Amino acid sequence: MLLYLLRRAVLMVPTLFGITLVVFVVMAAAPGGISSQSLVDGMNLEPETRQALEDYYNRLYGLDQPAPVQYVRWLNNISPVGFEREADGTLGAFTLFKGSDLGVSFRYGRPVTDLLAERLPITLLLNLLSIPLIYAVAIAIGVQAARARGGRFDVASNVFLLGLWSVPTMLAGVLFIGFFASEQYWRWFPTAGLVRREAVDQTFLPWLASGTDLLVLFALLGLSTALLVWAAARAPRRARRYGGAALGAALGYLMAADLQGSTPTILHGILGLIGAGVTGAVAGIPSKALRIVLAGGLAIGVGVGLARVSGVEIVHGGYLLDRAWHLVLPVIALSYGGLAFLAKLTRSSLLENLAADYARTARAKGVDEETVLWRHVFRNSLLPLITVSATLLPSLLAGSVIVESIFSIDGMGKLAVEAVQTRDRELVLSVTLISGLLTLAGYLLADIAYAIADPRVSYD
Amino acid sequence: MNTARGGGSRWGLWLGFGLVTVLLVLMMIQVDRQWQRMAEMTRIMQEQAEDIRRTRGLLRDLEQTLRSGDLRVADASVRASTGVSGLDAFERARRAAARPDYASGDWLMLAFGTGLRTLTPLVSADAYASEVQAYVIESLLTRDPDTLEWRGLVAEDWSISEDGLTITFRLRRDVNFSDGERLTARDLAFTFEFIMNEVIAAPRSRAYLSKIKSVTALDDHTVEFVFAEPYFNSLQLAGTLDILPEHFYRRYLDDPRAFNESRGLLLGSGPYRLADPEGWTPDQGRVELVRNPRYWGPVDPSFDRIVWRVIENDSARLTTFRNQDIDVYGARPREYQRLLDDEGLRERTLNFEYMSPTAGYSYIAWNQQRGDAPTRFADPRVRLAMSHLTDVQRVIEEVLLGYAEPAVSPFSPRSPQHDPSLQSIEYDLERARELLREAGFEDRSGDGVLQGPDGQPFEFEMTFFQDNEDTRRMVLFLRDLYARAGIVMRPRPTEWSVMLENIQRKDFDAITLGWTSGIEIDIFQMFHSSQTLEGGDNFIGYRNPELDRLIDAARAEVDEDKRMMLWQQAERILVADQPYTFLFRRNTLAFVDERIANLENTPLGLNLMSVPVEVYVPAPLQRKR
Repeated sequence: MLLYLLRRAVLMVPTLFGITLVVFVVMAAAPGGISSQSLVDGMNLEPETRQALEDYYNRLYGLDQPAPVQYVRWLNNISPVGFEREADGTLGAFTLFKGSDLGVSFRYGRPVTDLLAERLPITLLLNLLSIPLIYAVAIAIGVQAARARGGRFDVASNVFLLGLWSVPTMLAGVLFIGFFASEQYWRWFPTAGLVRREAVDQTFLPWLASGTDLLVLFALLGLSTALLVWAAARAPRRARRYGGAALGAALGYLMAADLQGSTPTILHGILGLIGAGVTGAVAGIPSKALRIVLAGGLAIGVGVGLARVSGVEIVHGGYLLDRAWHLVLPVIALSYGGLAFLAKLTRSSLLENLAADYARTARAKGVDEETVLWRHVFRNSLLPLITVSATLLPSLLAGSVIVESIFSIDGMGKLAVEAVQTRDRELVLSVTLISGLLTLAGYLLADIAYAIADPRVSYD
Repeated sequence: MNTARGGGSRWGLWLGFGLVTVLLVLMMIQVDRQWQRMAEMTRIMQEQAEDIRRTRGLLRDLEQTLRSGDLRVADASVRASTGVSGLDAFERARRAAARPDYASGDWLMLAFGTGLRTLTPLVSADAYASEVQAYVIESLLTRDPDTLEWRGLVAEDWSISEDGLTITFRLRRDVNFSDGERLTARDLAFTFEFIMNEVIAAPRSRAYLSKIKSVTALDDHTVEFVFAEPYFNSLQLAGTLDILPEHFYRRYLDDPRAFNESRGLLLGSGPYRLADPEGWTPDQGRVELVRNPRYWGPVDPSFDRIVWRVIENDSARLTTFRNQDIDVYGARPREYQRLLDDEGLRERTLNFEYMSPTAGYSYIAWNQQRGDAPTRFADPRVRLAMSHLTDVQRVIEEVLLGYAEPAVSPFSPRSPQHDPSLQSIEYDLERARELLREAGFEDRSGDGVLQGPDGQPFEFEMTFFQDNEDTRRMVLFLRDLYARAGIVMRPRPTEWSVMLENIQRKDFDAITLGWTSGIEIDIFQMFHSSQTLEGGDNFIGYRNPELDRLIDAARAEVDEDKRMMLWQQAERILVADQPYTFLFRRNTLAFVDERIANLENTPLGLNLMSVPVEVYVPAPLQRKR
């Protein structure tokens, strides 16, 4: 195994090398290319000024040399072993310990490493929140749909997921902002960024006016959660449906009241009906786990709402909640596409295995259906999900390009787009290097996960 | 069943472990935040201790003076200096502060459309960074927004020598930087030395200031600028030099890399400052200035803070403005028109259409030389005909919805450089046909397209920047207009970097672009024949010896009236010759939240961002932060 890992790690080097070579060639061949002229973009410069700027850039980055020389120079810079680079751009002595240097971004005039260190955590935060969310929800939906193939849940979730999968992220993001962040409709979430300026000066956790308020809040939260989770888990199906519909209708009415005041209008009716339909349908989902999770989420909202109504004074929400509040829309926008895809994949892979001979044998032995599903079929169905996980990371990185620019979040994606637009060679090469590395690491992880999930796979 | 329970407890273990980890991480973040906060408090307390020490020193000096009986003299000099400040840069701010509803407080919330690279002066090159720097760094002089005359800011008064080569400024004695250090003439001398040092990555500023031979501090409060040659804009050059504090920036001469790669090294004497003059980073997604507690000026700025958020998506920015989370929204013509019909928005906002003097003009440049051969646009009759065919009035009405004015020449119609008797060229199809016929262009083959004297059809490409919707619409409109006269124009949408390369190599037929403008602008770089060299801004190969003479004379003329006469003569040549077809000057269109009071259009544009700060939020409209 160790040998295999080592071999894979060594094989990564030529792949990365190929990636940078292709990127470099494409950049050098693009119309406009990379030259000191393209860096000096100010049209209002006097010629002497411009000449001075161009000379400066040429000296700094060696842009007046032929492209292959530039590429080799760049390789030397990033390699930890090679020739020292002197301040004036010439090469010094060969050394084994010079350390790799990703260079200085043309546009920002700052070391690329610094830029990446700033941006990478933000993108990773978005993705680390999205991936577990995608997997948890997709597996829950997929398993439930496969279990009752052709049932009402299967058909409904199929249509719904197909719809989700077809909505482009760009449109969804703008619609989210237009409907759920604008005071024209419902201003529930912030429009942009990752934190409100005011929250930076606040405490980390929410701050309530007094201790009794805290108690009241916890009591109400506990009460509503216990009640709703109990109802979701234990109540008979018919009671759940009616209860859910009533709750949904009330929420729909409140949404309309937020827009047009509390006198009933057609809008109140429509939104009440939609709310009743959605919550009623959700309350009727056969999967208990899915119901409990959804009911728990709803219960926290209802509990906080009740606490606000009953006079609990929240002095401020705190930094943590503010950050979470800013992440809601971006994370949803980032994950719904992958979620739809993965849920469909889970369903089809489970169906295939449920009909397999070994599942029938297990049932014939008298193993109960739950154990067949989770111990036998689910484990075997994981393999395609693991395959997809290797490509999920790069596609999420690509997806965060769109999400980050819509929600004005300064992450890697936005950096990459800006770098390509402005022909920032060092930055583009480094960003592709990092995303290439992440992708290859994703493949490697997937291969290791194969071995863990399936004893038949072995690399020795 | 047994295994299931065992599995359950294992899952529970993992869940508990995960929960504890998350809690630990959250706790660490919280402690970290407290630590940061404490560091900030320590810094503020140190600053205050320094202030107290300085005040004590001043008191001791005062006591000394009292004992020695020199008080009367000192008192007289104080009175004299306040007498002079009747005509300083703070006149308008004083008037604003005297208004009955004036109140200080609240934050001014603004937004940028793109992220900033750096806030460090000299290294930063974009307009956004200079918007921030304008609040933090001050210069010797500033223009009065009403009269457009120079007023002293840090300078008390100034004198120019007979030959115009030496300018001497006398500085105010009470100016200090936002960290409490005194601003002296030595800081100015240092600023010049700093910019001129090759190790600092400021080639742009260096070239700009190359006309200055030396800057010398004659004493603590007198500074002398000596110019190498007479230059018409010398007062502006010296007077608008941003004053950098020597005690803060000096150390970077030894470590230029730290300066050139820095993100936010910003300290000055202005009304606002960065809370930490070295600590700003672009990843915060915003820029935040706090009121300078040691501001020397006679009028304190009104806002507690000025915050710029970075919101790149247009619709998100508009929504944020609707939510009243930002105070200003700049709109494009079509959007502006649509938003004007939005009752909900108009109730809560003020809208402004104004002509900013720096807004500049758009033009179509006709390339007169490709390779070594002159093109058909080398004939002034053809260029004039093209200008007659370009129906600027209709472009303004249909593309820009009237939010622009026709441009006559490079000079703003509100500038004394402009000769009011000159008019922009009208749309006139007949006259254009006549001119083209004179130049030898006629439709001989009968296919509706003109042929030149050499039998070639009159076809050309129009290069334009692809991402601007208004420009695209204008070019398509012009294509139809030109087709009516039998001229085939092929639009060529181009990426910005490719466009720059085309200009560099002079590889285009016609190109539409814009130049920024100002109160008094120099046209040397665009129209002087010496600038047709490789990389010069006279990229159309336009040569006119008479114009060259006028430009040279005007640039060396220090007497304002004589210079304006020369500029006007140059303008007459430009209008007759039409090296460019001058299109229009756009209005700036903006919505401002209603809580901002005392907004006013001045000849320098809207006074929202002007320094000293004149706008404020009346007390009842202020928000609790």
